[in-house]
Amino acid sequence: MSKLGQVVEAVEKYNRFVLDQVKRARADGKFGREVSNRWNETKAKTPVTHTPTGLPLPRLALPEIDEPGEIARYLFGEGLPGEFPFLNGAYREMYLEPAREIELSSYGKKISTNAAKEKPTGDGARPPEEPTRLFSGLMLAEDTNERFHYLTQHQRTHRLSTAFDGPTLYGIDSDADGVFGKIGEGGVAIDTVEDMVRLYDGFDLGSPNFSASMTISGPAPIIMAMYIAAAKRRFGSKVVPKLRGTIQADIFKEVQAQNETIFPIEASLRFLTDMVEFTTREMPRWYPISISGYHIGEAGSTPVQQAAYTLSNGFAYAEMFAARGIPVDQFGPRLSFFLDCGLDAEYIALARVSRRIWAIGMRDAYGAGPRGQLFKLHTQTSGRSLIAAEFKNNLTRTAAELMLAYMNATNSCHSNSADEPFTTPSEEWIRLAAHGQAILLEESGIFKHTMNMLSGSPGMKAVERAVEAAILDEFREIERLGGVLAAVEDRFQRSQIQNAAHRYEQQIYDGTRPIIGLNRYRNGTDDIPEVKLARTPRAKQQLQVDRLRKFKKKNAEKAKRALDKLVDVVERGENCFPALLDAVEVSSLGQITGRLQEVVGRFRPMV
Amino acid sequence: MASPIRILTAVPICDGHDSAINTINLEFIRHGIEVIYLGYHRSVGDIVRAAIQEDVRAIGISSYNGGHVEFFAEVVGLLRKRGASDIKVFGGGGGTITHEDAIAMQRKGVEQIFFAGTSLAEMTDYVRDNYGKAQKKRSRAKSHDIELARKLTKIEDTFGKGKRPAWKRKVGNPRSAIRNPKVIGFTGPGGAGKTTLIDELVLRFLNRDPKGRIAILSHDPSVVGEGALLGDRATMINSQNDRVFMRSMATRGQAGGLSPATHDCLALLAQSNFDYVIIETVGTGQEAMPFQKNGIVGLTVLVMNPDYGSRLQLQKIVMLDLADIVVVNKSDLQRARTAHSEIEHRLEQNRRAQQLIDTVAKRHRDPGVDRLFDLISANRA
Repeated sequence: MSKLGQVVEAVEKYNRFVLDQVKRARADGKFGREVSNRWNETKAKTPVTHTPTGLPLPRLALPEIDEPGEIARYLFGEGLPGEFPFLNGAYREMYLEPAREIELSSYGKKISTNAAKEKPTGDGARPPEEPTRLFSGLMLAEDTNERFHYLTQHQRTHRLSTAFDGPTLYGIDSDADGVFGKIGEGGVAIDTVEDMVRLYDGFDLGSPNFSASMTISGPAPIIMAMYIAAAKRRFGSKVVPKLRGTIQADIFKEVQAQNETIFPIEASLRFLTDMVEFTTREMPRWYPISISGYHIGEAGSTPVQQAAYTLSNGFAYAEMFAARGIPVDQFGPRLSFFLDCGLDAEYIALARVSRRIWAIGMRDAYGAGPRGQLFKLHTQTSGRSLIAAEFKNNLTRTAAELMLAYMNATNSCHSNSADEPFTTPSEEWIRLAAHGQAILLEESGIFKHTMNMLSGSPGMKAVERAVEAAILDEFREIERLGGVLAAVEDRFQRSQIQNAAHRYEQQIYDGTRPIIGLNRYRNGTDDIPEVKLARTPRAKQQLQVDRLRKFKKKNAEKAKRALDKLVDVVERGENCFPALLDAVEVSSLGQITGRLQEVVGRFRPMV
Repeated sequence: MASPIRILTAVPICDGHDSAINTINLEFIRHGIEVIYLGYHRSVGDIVRAAIQEDVRAIGISSYNGGHVEFFAEVVGLLRKRGASDIKVFGGGGGTITHEDAIAMQRKGVEQIFFAGTSLAEMTDYVRDNYGKAQKKRSRAKSHDIELARKLTKIEDTFGKGKRPAWKRKVGNPRSAIRNPKVIGFTGPGGAGKTTLIDELVLRFLNRDPKGRIAILSHDPSVVGEGALLGDRATMINSQNDRVFMRSMATRGQAGGLSPATHDCLALLAQSNFDYVIIETVGTGQEAMPFQKNGIVGLTVLVMNPDYGSRLQLQKIVMLDLADIVVVNKSDLQRARTAHSEIEHRLEQNRRAQQLIDTVAKRHRDPGVDRLFDLISANRA
């Protein structure tokens, strides 16, 4: 049995354990009293907060139960927010504004005074970090850098998320044949460590208030090495353990859905593990992988497939890292997740169930400690759910998805721009998308007063049960195929996703899946505004090519030696990340990719 | 009945967005179109070479990662340069291609750009209306590839009309039909890894012989009475090379893993200037060997998957009696050792000099594939 089979067993066993606790709390008076006492204590200790109108509310909402069996079912089956198995949230408090202190005697009158005095200092259980992320990447490194400075000018914390252009995502140099027009399109062009220095120029990379997130997978270890090298050039070697951020580096989802893989699967996984072994040891604050269902969802999977493939990919990575000898409590807390949130009913509880399965699997099948059990989640609203026809409706779609994402207690979230179906998001609609989040979290009272405000409805419970059962079924199917890697090589996930995508299109076509403004209530007018896109000017593209050629010429001799050494290490089967760190000092992304492909081969696409 | 429309579809270099094109491909084949799918992340050179060799009516490009104005223009430009401007270019990219871009692209010779919101039916109608009529008189072929490609089209079209081609008389002479040691036939069940194995052999051949040329005739099944998705090129990354001439054929209603036109096309390729001609059948079941016993194919290779089922199943595979070389691919799978010994035992009963080789074609520089390559080379010598 592969590890995934053990995860299935662990969840089944845990569910039986919960039922046993329910029975025991009812039958065993002592245990029942313990459970009840804990429940009453939790309730008693829950602080009271007040809404702007003065209504008192508990900061944590709990179900109205007092029978020991039902209390046990809640405490063990769901867990309080921040407690195993984390169904209700990874942390005790999320999204809450600081508690308002109210003089109850002067109810209603003093509130405004107090509220006005109140400063958003945030002394809650978690620092008041903006859950909004800023995603950017355009033209050359200096252009993206300028954009980063503009985006962060009024922010205390600098959380930069970087998009790369096509050549970079495929590990190709800007001077390669036929890629000229793609330089700096859709993301920033990075060829060398010098570009990486320019990209984050002016930011304090070692500061706790700075983190860099890099959305790249195929050549991730090379880009990671460039980032470290750039940081060292600017701040010296001592900065390395302080570096914070995330690199996507999710090979499985690339093969299953997004197609940005450059080495054969096994070689890609080996380079990834080399990187993870290095970063989890030397850079304890870095997230070296973001296990991503988003692209699986966007490629057309069902919500259950998205969660099942993402979780099983995560378990497969954990198995691989453990097999390398990296302790589970070293890598476990450094894994993070990224999910899509659309409008289907499954999304009401998809992330909640995922968090629960991950926690149980990591604890009981992998022996992870509390920090390694957390399913830390970034969510993005569904791009696929947005359409061009009557595109302003997309604001409503995104708002509903945001609501679902926060109901699932996501740790951070990105909301899409309504104009996405027909253009690169423009300032106006990006701003509205970000405001959507602010309206939900800051303006509305839905999430800011009480944890669990919308958790635990009978409908949500029904969805949870159905989704969990369906995810476990998917796990069993993957297990039957010999585990995640075997299933991936068999194109299982890929063809399942493609089938689901085709079915989805078919449903839109025959009207069984209503899309307002498209197959229902269509007014027939085309209201797509004429847009002008900012393209990378040819002169800039030429500049990138010229700089790269100069770098290659300057370092030709050194590059040869460094690459020979790298190839040597790879052939010997040792961890190649230290050699990569040396290689990026003198060679370009394309040079490194090319040499590695000579040794390990190229990725053979799956159709 | 006229031959199906043949078009080539692809996604540009540095672009992995294949969700739209996958859906469009399926829609095209459902409407009787034969689609040669080149895959994603493909260069201008690969696209133009493939379009010429496959002699398609048009190229459909789906681009979502920017740089489309340049990329489409380069495709049109290279077609023109190679003397193949009768192959038309169309495409789309959802919202990434603006109306302004489309005007610029059309000025550079792109025929049609579809915008976000275009229905699948509109695209299918466009292809049928514009590329459905027979090609008018064509200009003189400017290269060997073009000439050969057009001859192959002619053979396929003639069979499509239900006639025996007049051309047949020419290749029908005894010399062209006899066993030709440079013609190698690959067959075996679907999913055994034939395509990957061939591509790995091609890589070895190209590396060993810097001037050598190779032809590949690959087959995929037609959807009953409809089009076909011919997708081998997408997997065969090493075979997208100027020294490789590859042609993808749909079975067009014929059972047995080959097309009605296969024999004549193969004869033509065998007479042309190639060091090797490789023919790959569609994934076959347990039926008889698809290659004629005393036909052109000089060496037959049966590629097996270790998961063929029980020993009894093995007894039913007629092809095991006829193949010159049997390959157990995916020999890294658990069942491979059992499979090897069962097949070995089965071959012993045949009392012929058959070879049995284990390979892991997906593995870079696999020693098993090296051995197979040596064996094939030895047979030719």
